[in-house]
Amino acid sequence: MAVLIEFELIERARGGDESAFNQVLQAYRKRILGTIARLIGKPEDVEDVGQEVFLRLYYSLDQLRTPEVFEPWLYRLTVNAAYDYLRRQRRRHESRMSDLSEQQVMMADASAGGKRSKEDADHTRVREQLQSLLDKVSTEDRVLLVLKEVEGLSLKELEKIYKVNENALKVRLFRARQRVLKAYESES
Amino acid sequence: MDRMEDKLDSLWAEYRQACPDPEPSPNFIPQVWQRIEARRRATSSLRHWAEACVVAALSLTLLIATFLIPRYQRQPVYQLTYADVLAEADSPDYTVIITGGDTRGDTR
Repeated sequence: MAVLIEFELIERARGGDESAFNQVLQAYRKRILGTIARLIGKPEDVEDVGQEVFLRLYYSLDQLRTPEVFEPWLYRLTVNAAYDYLRRQRRRHESRMSDLSEQQVMMADASAGGKRSKEDADHTRVREQLQSLLDKVSTEDRVLLVLKEVEGLSLKELEKIYKVNENALKVRLFRARQRVLKAYESES
Repeated sequence: MDRMEDKLDSLWAEYRQACPDPEPSPNFIPQVWQRIEARRRATSSLRHWAEACVVAALSLTLLIATFLIPRYQRQPVYQLTYADVLAEADSPDYTVIITGGDTRGDTR
């Protein structure tokens, strides 16, 4: 992760300077929206979750100890907002699916598939395949794996986000990978 | 197993390619500020309500302490001791108490 702004700007934003906060917002919005998009896999909700992240950032910036830890801290806020969204979605999805008959679910899937035909077919297929795979594991596994495998964060960076030591992280990653691999094998 | 791991690894990489950073809409930043303002308004109105409640509670306490408590403060139900009451009533029991239970003198 390359730092996108000067520490001095973060200091100013932390002190309540709104124009400095606006610059932080401009610098990080694209990167944060990209991470959220890959974490939640629902393009229509990405901006909503992104706005929630920056809202939380604004109201908790004064708790930041030093500007040096700004990025892992922003990532932690992003991960937490993604968690909240995914848990909400999971609950909503479960209740919605239990209301529909199997035939209705199949018809809904078929109609959604038809609408997507205009999109880039390969990308859509990959996104759907991975999202369906990630839906089979817990939210915690999903987020950790996306941060490591897709976002490409190092163990050091993950340590700062999760606030756990490297060994504990390696164990969690290994187990999460095994669970996804198992789901992948049963799918293919 | 290794083959599956390799396939999964390439699926992660393909997914990264399939999900580039989206271009934020022009409304993104104004909407963030709208949310910040909405939260600020909600917090401030909550603070006003809390302050009003504290002031009301203090005024009520003061009112009760100054006017209502003295007004309803009753005289104690028993102003005399049991012995005094008996003496007033000139009851034979009273005699028993003062003479220590010896009532022989009375029968003479």
